[in-house]
Amino acid sequence: MARLFPRRSSLGAAIAAAVSLGAIGFAGISFGAVVVGETRRIDLAPKAATGVDAMKAQYKRPTTIPFPKENPYTPEKAALGKKLYFDTRLSVSMAQSCASCHSPGFGWGDGLAVGVGHGMAKLGRHSPTIVNAAWGEIFMWDGRLATLEEQALGPIQAAGEMNMPLEQLMSRLTSIPEYKPLFATAFPGEGMNVKTLAKAIATYERTVVSERAPFDAWIEGDEKAISEDAKRGFVVFNGKAMCSACHEGWNFTNDGFQDIGLPSADIGRGEFVPGVVKMQHAFKTPGLREIARRSPYMHDGSLATLEAVVDHYDHGGVDRPSRSDLMKPLGLTAQEKSDLVTFMKTLTSNLSPTAVPVLPR
Amino acid sequence: MRTTILFSFVILSGLSVGALAANQVIHQQGRVFSSESVTIKKGGALTFVNDDSIPHNIMSATKGSEFNLGSQAPGTSTDVTFKEAGNVQVICAIHPRMKMTVNVTD
Repeated sequence: MARLFPRRSSLGAAIAAAVSLGAIGFAGISFGAVVVGETRRIDLAPKAATGVDAMKAQYKRPTTIPFPKENPYTPEKAALGKKLYFDTRLSVSMAQSCASCHSPGFGWGDGLAVGVGHGMAKLGRHSPTIVNAAWGEIFMWDGRLATLEEQALGPIQAAGEMNMPLEQLMSRLTSIPEYKPLFATAFPGEGMNVKTLAKAIATYERTVVSERAPFDAWIEGDEKAISEDAKRGFVVFNGKAMCSACHEGWNFTNDGFQDIGLPSADIGRGEFVPGVVKMQHAFKTPGLREIARRSPYMHDGSLATLEAVVDHYDHGGVDRPSRSDLMKPLGLTAQEKSDLVTFMKTLTSNLSPTAVPVLPR
Repeated sequence: MRTTILFSFVILSGLSVGALAANQVIHQQGRVFSSESVTIKKGGALTFVNDDSIPHNIMSATKGSEFNLGSQAPGTSTDVTFKEAGNVQVICAIHPRMKMTVNVTD
């Protein structure tokens, strides 16, 4: 019996020690109803090296455009949306349309470092392309809008952009006789209102899809479609440079938010997720289709050329707590950098001209 | 003292293995949660394993059940215990396509 006491004492102490050790991991990061435990290392099975064919399989173009079930495609809706998209009367000044900043002439951007809004005042960020918006998961550089329908109304109302109150816009559109029948045909029983306006513009935007580029022909088996330099660049893109960790899939984006270390005071996504360190200075990863027509680059338009973009990634950018863990000096050779740029240029198609529509009067 | 430490180790290991065995595991390979929706009992835990090739940032902004794992490196695993009943929306802050619901029942 006497010999048991020490054992029981040891057991009691052990339990106390175990509980207290366990509590250390929990105490600092508990948030009320949810308790976060300590993070452990685990062994992952080593992944087999990915061959070029396996890489290429991830980049096949889709065959259809996804339209949401709440706003399915009809040609009447898309045709009305196109007129609205190119109509400068959607801005209070009657001088700007959606196409002013998202122009087919510049890969559906504006070719400027940052956009120009109401009164020709410069905006804070680069105008993003609308190419392949149909596949977007979340919208705007900072992801503040959830659908393309919401996005369509955003710049129209924004004081710094088209500065047009929606009520005033609907009143103005109602005074243009030829719009009424177009809305009636596109939206039987719904007519002309803010909701149908947004649905029409979003439907048109979803039809703006990057056309087949040399890269697509190569993916589909034409070995002569792109140069050997570009093929090496594709391997660097998916390997050493790790570009495909974010610029993945046929549209070259997973719509993720990353701080890539640009020296800008803009906190981007951080405004909407203030408590998350990695979201400070984070911006949505843009797709890379039609990229050669979309300079200058980055959310602030601060890099003029693709060469400068590659140099930025090779350097790794500003090292700060929010910077993506994927950003680090890459040690790319001059040849690898050159190959990467050559590869990215194969993502640009010979975009066919877009006819400006005749607008209702 | 050595015995105490040994016992502590054995108990912690036991708890840890027990927790792993009992917890449902959520994988993140290929930038996707392995389940869109899971149901667990109040007081139960999920084990979030980053078996992907890139960091993720699992969090919830559901009122009363907010949590944030921060940047979770590939090859790491974190247990999250849910103490109150209700639906908790879990997302990856980095990758907006990653979202799931945890239904915590009484």
